[in-house]
Amino acid sequence: MDVIDQILPVVQKPARYAGGEWNSVRKDWDGVDLKVAFAFPDTYEVGMSHLGLQILYWIVNGRPDALMERVFAPWPDMEEEMRKRELPLFSLESRRPVRDFDILAFTLQYEMSFSNILNMLDLAGIPLMAEQRDEKFPLVIAGGPCAFNPEPLAGFIDLFVIGEGEEVINEFLDAFLEAKRRGLSRQELLFEALKVPGVYVPSLYRVHYGEDGSVLKVAPAVEGVPERVTKRVVRDLNGAPFPLRPVVPFTEIVHDRAMVEVMRGCTRGCRFCQAGVLYRPVREKKCETVLEQAAGLVRNTGYGEISLTSLSTSDYTPVRRAVKALVDEYARQGVNVSLPSLRADNFSVELAKEVQRVRRSSLTFAPEAGTQRLRNVINKGVTGEDLLKTVSAAFREGWQAVKLYFMIGLPTETDEDLDGIAGLAGEVLALGRQAGVPAGRLRVTVSVSSFVPKAHTPFQWEPQAPLPALKQKQAYLSGKLKGRGLAFNYHDAGLSFIEAAFARGDRRLGAVLVNAFKLGCKFDGWSEHFSLSRWLEAFRRAGLNPEQYANRRYGYAEPLPWDHIDSGVSKEYLILEHRRAMAGLTTLDCRAGSCTGCGLCPALAAEPVYAEA
Amino acid sequence: MPRYRMMYAKEGPARYISHLDLLRAFERAARRAGLPLAFTLGFNPHPKIAFAAPLGVGTAGEREFADLELTANMPPEEVAGALGRALPEGLRLIELRAVADQAGALMTAVDRATYRAEAILSRPVSAGEAERAVAAFLSMPQILVEKKGRRGEKKVRDIKPGILAMSARVNDDIIVVEAELKTGSSGNVRFEEVLDAFKEKSRLPVEGRFSLYRTGVYAARGKEKKSLWHV
Repeated sequence: MDVIDQILPVVQKPARYAGGEWNSVRKDWDGVDLKVAFAFPDTYEVGMSHLGLQILYWIVNGRPDALMERVFAPWPDMEEEMRKRELPLFSLESRRPVRDFDILAFTLQYEMSFSNILNMLDLAGIPLMAEQRDEKFPLVIAGGPCAFNPEPLAGFIDLFVIGEGEEVINEFLDAFLEAKRRGLSRQELLFEALKVPGVYVPSLYRVHYGEDGSVLKVAPAVEGVPERVTKRVVRDLNGAPFPLRPVVPFTEIVHDRAMVEVMRGCTRGCRFCQAGVLYRPVREKKCETVLEQAAGLVRNTGYGEISLTSLSTSDYTPVRRAVKALVDEYARQGVNVSLPSLRADNFSVELAKEVQRVRRSSLTFAPEAGTQRLRNVINKGVTGEDLLKTVSAAFREGWQAVKLYFMIGLPTETDEDLDGIAGLAGEVLALGRQAGVPAGRLRVTVSVSSFVPKAHTPFQWEPQAPLPALKQKQAYLSGKLKGRGLAFNYHDAGLSFIEAAFARGDRRLGAVLVNAFKLGCKFDGWSEHFSLSRWLEAFRRAGLNPEQYANRRYGYAEPLPWDHIDSGVSKEYLILEHRRAMAGLTTLDCRAGSCTGCGLCPALAAEPVYAEA
Repeated sequence: MPRYRMMYAKEGPARYISHLDLLRAFERAARRAGLPLAFTLGFNPHPKIAFAAPLGVGTAGEREFADLELTANMPPEEVAGALGRALPEGLRLIELRAVADQAGALMTAVDRATYRAEAILSRPVSAGEAERAVAAFLSMPQILVEKKGRRGEKKVRDIKPGILAMSARVNDDIIVVEAELKTGSSGNVRFEEVLDAFKEKSRLPVEGRFSLYRTGVYAARGKEKKSLWHV
């Protein structure tokens, strides 16, 4: 009797580990040359909600010479059983040890999942450090947004892929196959892989530190290695591979619906937002492409909901046409249409009405800051007036609950801005009452996260507010956001503090990660597992101070640990944007036609793509 | 609305699907199959699929029953063909029939179920030893099991009246236990409870966990089993 089947009945949610889902692909192991394990360093439910996984799974399994199988971080109860029985980390499809694959590919969506990467390597029986691994072990690669500051993981990962994966994955796999055929050593293979644009091999770079311990530069250690690695961008999304047969989980996942990506990128230019830079330029799919893909997805998955996903779907030029066509086509079949995020304007309420013809659940808006002054600083192009008008319209249309997302600790923030958050929430509540929403039903939820400065953004130089200050701000708001119909929740500030340290961290943080892993850190994005004291201990043992990374103002002239990674947006532009922020000046949406001069289009020979309305 | 009754197997990876997720799995399969599934009215419409009896997560079902309603009449062969092709690995349609409007609801009709369990023995056991263990187990005046109540308080109850039949045999190093147990809204007995009590009382050298199979679900006619096709 299979040991996995002995374990599964005693763990929570065994469907996480069972595999066999609709559209999952199990290829003949010996029939392909190249085996790739896609590793998501969080739970099955989180990982399966990630469109990037489905895209790469579709591409790799579409190749006759390769297979891709999935593996997720086992929940601690499963890990305990696995360790007790010495069962190594295994893939869902063939239940083979991850160690037996040629390539183990991690996706880096969130800094607080780094500890899970180390834990998964350990569970797989793979040495943590790249330098301890030879050809007997899989090549460990990684990509995703956190690869744009790869340095904290540089010691563990053999190779990073910077930017969008659709094209580079095939180029890289071809290079890998060729190297395997020629029987190249690991070192030789890494040199070959370098020829693929977008590939960063950290072991071929050396970090130079100044006398004060600051990073002077990350530079090639040997000849023939590029000084900077530029991100990959897919020029035309209409022609890009898109998973029309995504894996449909048995168990409920976070985003349990068919996802059609309508566009990539966002033109709004919020100054704290990393995705807005990493996914530039904006590229919209044609409405026809979206409708075709939606039809394929419904047919092939049986999902009861189609979500039009992107960073800002109400900005998608033909959004109205797409929504109307989908609702007309699928409402009869009991298939709903949903939009992930809404802009605070009347147009968005119109759209929401269109998609929620029957059920009016809650609407979510993200003003991010409490005063107009601060919204200008962060370049959030929404006014308090817009928000109130929109919310008022929403209440009149029958919505009874509104969620508002804010950030605290933003650069230049004062108590006045916090008062603004409470003030806006109060006004929204009053509008609900005025619109006649029954008091028992009316609900305004204020959700507050702490600002985390991220690499490649105009705020990359900004310090995070010290931890005690963040806690004080939370307490201050907590006192103000009380009363019937109001709900207030906030993220763990300690977690945001460690996230900030890694978001702007350098290669030395690898030692902290090893310590944290040894201290038992895992699932740190889950507040029930996160332990600030363990992380502080991990820093202390490495002789490092997280405040040096999280709470320090980095200088414009100071070399940054991620300077060798090129997002396409120039540093000069980020400095300009930072200066404009400090002056309270806003920058126009590049969709409006006036180029903001971020430098990306000329640098990457790319340009924004807009669809017809 | 036209109602269909299906007998299906839930095995392999599908045996880890929870009861709630199973409803979703059938809903999605029906949509892939292009079947006009009927939905309940209201804010949260759900498909009209009714299962005979929930199956514990991890237990395989060899002959499970469920009814589903469509909004339009379709020949049963057609429904079976389309649905059968759209089911995920481990869910296997065995048979599907149209049922009359006046047919009873599965859930209220269910009275008992048959089960099989298999486990590895850590030392050889003779067939006679296994049989004697079952006989001794069933000859106890009461089989008391402890169960935690809703508020965490301990409840003790006698499951013996719910054990309608039980036997054990040995195949090489594997012990196979079969049982027929009371199932449904009254006097329901879980197979795990029976096996735990049996393992404890018999002290047979069972290694690890039993693999569990529900081999059938039935209504009752007097003291006999009655097929759910005839409810």
